[in-house]
Amino acid sequence: MDYSDDFDAVRATSSTAWEDETEDIGQTSLQRLTRWWINERGAPDILVWQAQLVEELLDSLHNQATMVQHIRSDPRTSEQEHFRVVLVQTEMERVKFLIRSYLRVRIHKIEKYAGYIMREPGVQVKLSSGELTHAQKYYDLISKYFHSSALEGLPENMRSLDEQLPNGRSMITEPDKDRGVFVRARKKCENVRLPNGDSLTIEKGSIHLLRYRTVEDLVARAEVELI
Amino acid sequence: MALPQPLRPGPTPYELEFIASDELIEISPSFSMERTRLIHGIIGPFRPPGKSKVPLWLAVNLKLKRKCNIVPPDWLNVEYLQERLAEETSSPAFSALPFRFAEIAKVLLDVAADDLALPDKIRSLLKDLREARQSKSRDGLKKLDHIQLEMANLCSMEINELRPFFVKAMGVFTKLQTDSQGNADDQAGGQDMDFSW
Repeated sequence: MDYSDDFDAVRATSSTAWEDETEDIGQTSLQRLTRWWINERGAPDILVWQAQLVEELLDSLHNQATMVQHIRSDPRTSEQEHFRVVLVQTEMERVKFLIRSYLRVRIHKIEKYAGYIMREPGVQVKLSSGELTHAQKYYDLISKYFHSSALEGLPENMRSLDEQLPNGRSMITEPDKDRGVFVRARKKCENVRLPNGDSLTIEKGSIHLLRYRTVEDLVARAEVELI
Repeated sequence: MALPQPLRPGPTPYELEFIASDELIEISPSFSMERTRLIHGIIGPFRPPGKSKVPLWLAVNLKLKRKCNIVPPDWLNVEYLQERLAEETSSPAFSALPFRFAEIAKVLLDVAADDLALPDKIRSLLKDLREARQSKSRDGLKKLDHIQLEMANLCSMEINELRPFFVKAMGVFTKLQTDSQGNADDQAGGQDMDFSW
């Protein structure tokens, strides 16, 4: 039996997909998720959950796994095909690492900003349903723990976890959007508003250190990437 | 912990190497193989002595199994790097090197030094380049303010190295700025008091 069809089945993506890092067209879901992973690592705020990319990659992983199983379970598989299977598996491990790393950085942010997420419905929509459930449960657990371990012993008016102090500081940890981030432009961005009111044109491919607040929208629209 | 402490400030050099390993590189395989579908795309077919483009991680994998030779990228040779070094030391701007050159060069020097001409010379040139560029980026710190800084031709590894200090410095600038806006009057009063002592 010839398995070359299994290996071969050409997908929409061609091998030229690797050529230009800054173009979306022809980029594989792998490259795009890699970019969102690094964006997520760089951004102080939590970004929109890349449901489609993760789904596509999980599908690809599933397909590859089925194929590997299929080939390995066949005793007539040649030495050379086994070698190809090893390459396929090596790549699968890399993709799994990527997805795991992406999820981990998000979980870290969800736990750090649980109170903030629970307070802001606008942030909740950026999470997947699983992540939102986690945020809810985590926040409930933490609040219960704080109450039972310490807060119950305090006067009633000191027990809240979301107090806003008169000087504007809040008990809820919020992402620091004024933190500096390194960005690289994926296309020319004109009229980027700087905090001092000036506007800036970012040339394609150029690298800048800017406050996250300045580029927040550009990151969301994938016009710049964090590096 | 979902994200261990050392990973929080930004990607680690190993993670950058992981990303750079997705870039394509040319190899001349010493065995033949049919086209193989990866999640990345299609690789092969390999037909020695023909060459083929594969992701770097795959090239490294095959190289370690002695199944291919890696064709070094056109920027990884003594002449090219010498030119860049001359540029680097004669002009104030950063010379144009591939964005992930440091990672790729390191991987190739580690596993495929025998495919490079004069690997030791390349190693020392890369080191000189790094030092020249490092001192320039420290100079660049003078231009940092609380708004923005453009850093043309900086590479991924260099940015990663500068990140903690630059981001922190920018944060301090931002804080000074907002403080001075917020308490302009108080501060003036306070300072007068101080001086009167």
